[in-house]
Amino acid sequence: MSVTRRDLLKIGTLGGAAVAVGGAIGSPAQEHVPTPPRDAVGMLYDSTKCIGCKSCVVACADANALQPDTRVDSLHQAPNDLNSFTKDIIKLYKPKYGDGGSFAFVKRQCMHCVDPFCVAACPFHALEKNKTTGVVSWTPDKCIGCRYCQLACPYQIPKFDWDSFNAKIVKCEFCKERLAAGKEPACTYVCPPKAVIFGRRDVLLREAHRRIQDHPGKYFENRVYGEKEAGGTQVLYLSAVNFDYLGLPHLSPTEHPSNWLRWQERVLKFFALPVGIYVGMVTFLKQNFREHENEMDDEHKKTGLMPQL
Amino acid sequence: MNGHTQSDLTVVRWQRGVPVFGLPIRTKNFLVLAGIAIAGFVLVTYREVFGLGSATGLSDAFPWGIWKTFNVMTLTALGSGSFPIGIAAWIFRKRRLHAVMRVTLLISFLVYFTGLLAIAVDVSRPWNVYNLLSVYRWNTISPMWEVLWCMPLYCLFPLFLENTPPVFEQLWYFFPPGRGLVVWLVPIIRKTYPYVVALAYTLPILHQSALGALMLLTGNQVFPLWQTPLLPLLYVWAAAFIGVATTICSVLLCCMTWKRPIDHSIMDELVRLMNWLIFPWIALRLLDIVVRGNFLLMFNSGLLSLIFWLEMVFIFVPAYYLRKAKYRNSAYLLFRNCFLIVAGGMLYRFSPTTFAYRPWRFGVIAYYTPTVIEIVTSLSFICTCICLFLIAVKRLPILPAPLQQWFESESYYRNFYPYIQMSGYGNPDQHRPSYAD
Repeated sequence: MSVTRRDLLKIGTLGGAAVAVGGAIGSPAQEHVPTPPRDAVGMLYDSTKCIGCKSCVVACADANALQPDTRVDSLHQAPNDLNSFTKDIIKLYKPKYGDGGSFAFVKRQCMHCVDPFCVAACPFHALEKNKTTGVVSWTPDKCIGCRYCQLACPYQIPKFDWDSFNAKIVKCEFCKERLAAGKEPACTYVCPPKAVIFGRRDVLLREAHRRIQDHPGKYFENRVYGEKEAGGTQVLYLSAVNFDYLGLPHLSPTEHPSNWLRWQERVLKFFALPVGIYVGMVTFLKQNFREHENEMDDEHKKTGLMPQL
Repeated sequence: MNGHTQSDLTVVRWQRGVPVFGLPIRTKNFLVLAGIAIAGFVLVTYREVFGLGSATGLSDAFPWGIWKTFNVMTLTALGSGSFPIGIAAWIFRKRRLHAVMRVTLLISFLVYFTGLLAIAVDVSRPWNVYNLLSVYRWNTISPMWEVLWCMPLYCLFPLFLENTPPVFEQLWYFFPPGRGLVVWLVPIIRKTYPYVVALAYTLPILHQSALGALMLLTGNQVFPLWQTPLLPLLYVWAAAFIGVATTICSVLLCCMTWKRPIDHSIMDELVRLMNWLIFPWIALRLLDIVVRGNFLLMFNSGLLSLIFWLEMVFIFVPAYYLRKAKYRNSAYLLFRNCFLIVAGGMLYRFSPTTFAYRPWRFGVIAYYTPTVIEIVTSLSFICTCICLFLIAVKRLPILPAPLQQWFESESYYRNFYPYIQMSGYGNPDQHRPSYAD
């Protein structure tokens, strides 16, 4: 059996493709440890300091020019959850009668994750994380309205304008216009007891740990929610009650999107595997197709019927 | 007949695609299906005018409804028969399987086409879809991007081209002025065919696994019985055997409805292919659950356990029985078992998106119930699919049949078009092959 140049080329192509695929998939995985941007801004919300006055809710609606949500009783602006008119809300955890727990308020808003699920999910970068401040914001021009961000967000933050023709994704964008003008976000600016404060994320983390050290046993599990959850968030929480009661889900430090998608990322690296599969298939197909065509023509000769592909 | 079936008496060999001739298209059933299809398209107008909120039961807690989770993520699995069968036929040289290629390609095309319609209806800012072309806005790591690119590309390019030969064939026989076009196009199609076909097998592997990756990115919001890093692999694998089972079902249904002979050797081949896909899939899924330490969840998670076992039993038990020749040689038993496999597979593809998605709701209980508009529209897409399928198999040489039927169809068509010549094209050495007369 002699090896023709065509065979050699074929073997070369297949071998090259195999090496490329193996190289791309077999290369050591990059350690995916999400790190916040250098100048990441943040908020620290201390549930034990919050008095539930909802000044932040009003200030947020004012600063973001949101319509008042009077859908509950057609009179008062009293949204019952985050929705298309509400980017920030204060909720109350009420312990059951007689079990001795304490009341606690919680301020719900976008967590501005260090490695956000919504940003990984968005097909056209409509949701983007700012490279310097780390703020996750939404661009209407790029959004096709697939609502995959809503499906993916573990905190259930992005809300959708269901009744509008020109529907929008509504979520806290950290008052990015105010930030650009050198001001702090409206909610931290107005908060009377300074339950929510604004600052750099690293500074706030230190502040949170200082508070835990100063009052050992005061805070739940002596930990800051958002330090490590799903790779960390830029909005940090301190609470006296279980974070579960405040609607903050359990998320292990490794449950961030780049970890969930690590295999997909590897398999699709440089598009090597799909191209490899394609090249391999074409190689086999060309040969088998030629045989099939010959067979079809034989059939044609024998029966006098037009070949069917 | 002493209880013998037809296949006992004569060995049926499918050799050619032959139209279902001599039957009207506008039957009563067809008109009912077409009515539902049209009703759905009318309701789509309502959704476009009044918005998603008023037309659907969707909410911020359940952002995806049956248009995406059922019509796209579940039903496209039914249309995935063409890539496992095609790979077996073209790459692994199971030559007999070429007989059912035309049916499975037609099913794939129609299912994907209506799936695209469902996406188009569901997407709520459709005027921004042009972003598919703006390269600098691509987020290539997003499974959604993969699906949005890959599915239309697959449906409108390779699948479309693979479905053109039957059309050109009919054009050649029935419309002599169109022969010039056919003579010009068919050699081009033949020359590019290997490249197109290889694309038609690469793309579905990519986007069927991306459909699994869609749920992967929801992280631990999907119940651990379904959520696994292997979800993309399990999804594309499930699509492969569901597609084969769907092909078997639809071919059998057509044969039984229109009293056409069944070639059991090809059916055996298909069942063997399907079983080769099913048993390792079940083993991998169970192994994955055990390795991740969720063994007990299979039994103690209430309704979700029930759904899990329904999937497993519906897929495993029929596949187990189909190993026996007795079950494969009876058209009814074969159909019933393949139908159960399709049902179980569809349940597997549907569960992680709806039943197993956020089942605990963080203390707040929210439900999603599809509205009548959603259900009718969803049904309408399915009915559109069936109607187009019925028209196609009655007009085009798609369903496989023995050679005898080809000559019967020729003499039937001669009653209406005396100039028709569908046989006797003689020696291709004198008449050049491949329509090039």
